[in-house]
Amino acid sequence: MRAVEFAAVILAMLVPFIAIKTHDMATYIYWTVVVAAYLAYTAFRRWDVEQL
Amino acid sequence: MLTLPSGGGMLNSFETLLLFYAVAGTAIALYARKFGVKSDDEYYIAGRNVGGVISALTYAATTYSAFMMVGLVGLAYASGVGAYGFEMFYLAGTLMLLSYYGPKIWKLSREYDAVSPAELIGKRFGKSTAVAMVIISLVALIPYTSSQLIGVSLVIERMSGISFMTAISISAVLIALWAFIGGLRGVAWTDAVQGVIMILSAVIAVVYVFSLNPGFFGQVSEIGDLMAVPNRIWTPQLFIKLTVPWFFFALTNPQVFQRLFIPKDEKALKRMVVYFGIFGLLYTVLVTMLGLMLRVMAENGDFPLLKDRDLVTPTLLSAMPEWMGLLVGISILAAAITTANSIILSLSSMVSRDVFKNQMAGRASILVLTVTVALFASTRPSYIVELAVMSSTLLLSIFPLILALIHTKFSRGLEAVLVSFLTGLVLRYLKFQFTGVAVLAVGFAVLLAANLTKRGKIG
Repeated sequence: MRAVEFAAVILAMLVPFIAIKTHDMATYIYWTVVVAAYLAYTAFRRWDVEQL
Repeated sequence: MLTLPSGGGMLNSFETLLLFYAVAGTAIALYARKFGVKSDDEYYIAGRNVGGVISALTYAATTYSAFMMVGLVGLAYASGVGAYGFEMFYLAGTLMLLSYYGPKIWKLSREYDAVSPAELIGKRFGKSTAVAMVIISLVALIPYTSSQLIGVSLVIERMSGISFMTAISISAVLIALWAFIGGLRGVAWTDAVQGVIMILSAVIAVVYVFSLNPGFFGQVSEIGDLMAVPNRIWTPQLFIKLTVPWFFFALTNPQVFQRLFIPKDEKALKRMVVYFGIFGLLYTVLVTMLGLMLRVMAENGDFPLLKDRDLVTPTLLSAMPEWMGLLVGISILAAAITTANSIILSLSSMVSRDVFKNQMAGRASILVLTVTVALFASTRPSYIVELAVMSSTLLLSIFPLILALIHTKFSRGLEAVLVSFLTGLVLRYLKFQFTGVAVLAVGFAVLLAANLTKRGKIG
């Protein structure tokens, strides 16, 4: 399950290399949104250590 | 348009601020000392009793160095949005590693009563492997720490009449003094204050530069393919070369790895990771935005078009209003000091616990290591970014052992760490593009071979 999560984040981060070709702030904003979303997920999901 | 000053006027103000900074930091370190520095546990990991907010700020201030405000601003200026992607890959990787491995390492460090990172490795893989990890850390982190001193000394030299060599000496004294006096608690508290200064000064710098060119978002396409990846600079090869070593930074660099030992409980650990993530995201956005805004201004003729990317920030500082230049200059000094003294303290903990098993040797090593770093910095070797990446590449040789510690019952690690480290040294010397990938591949292969062979013999 965790491997799927890691793979999904890495693949999402690679999207601009293939799919975003504009010369505006699109790539910049895209990477910001992906990392911010992953940070929010990290903050709100339950960690293993919390189940000890 | 920015106007560059003809010089003078800044010297006394900067020296006064520097003196205030030195006195304030020393006072904090002295106060922290009252909470205990006698045992190694107290001195090197603050008795495993640090709250979430301070843990996060010391983690952030240790991670984010002078490279951000000097190196990354220049990299974004010279190469565009790829610099942001490179740093965002690092942050995403760090969040992954910390949220999954952080709790396991925090728990293991308590079960094994480990104070230094090498001690944790040594409990499973033996003393020789721990000593090898210390030597690798020393070799790898001297250039990285030196890069901090180079960055900050360039800024001090540019902003005042203080020479490059004197600036290195001042930085070195502050690094050794605060680490020596207050141990990790002193370093963590000074880190926390300086972390706030780093964020505030970055916000002020971005607001100031944006006020000079409010049309930035509409004009950004003027820098063309620098706003997309891949481009003529950020080729997939360069991206892999720079990103792989930094992606695993959280588990391979002892100064940040050791910070996983310090949160007082599970809640503090989670807060450390999440608050660090918020800090990292905000700081990276600010710093790279600064580089991109200055590049657009340079294309418009409102800022010098510089060939040496390491001069972008110093040029900006000399053109800012004096109070702002002083604040940002001090924030760069803070970023360098917080990273460097954390590294020196972490290396000292390994020298003390894993090599000499002697407290006095550990304390003395703070001075010896700082002098070594200052001497290396005085030669100004290569580019700042290249130096930092070389360190992270060499430290990748430790990564297979850390994964094996968590996921396997393997007990042989010396062969893997030595062979992969030597592979890293040789390939860096040969300027091989994918040294980081090769270090990891060789490390895992040797680790598997050594442990499976051993099992075969036993069976």
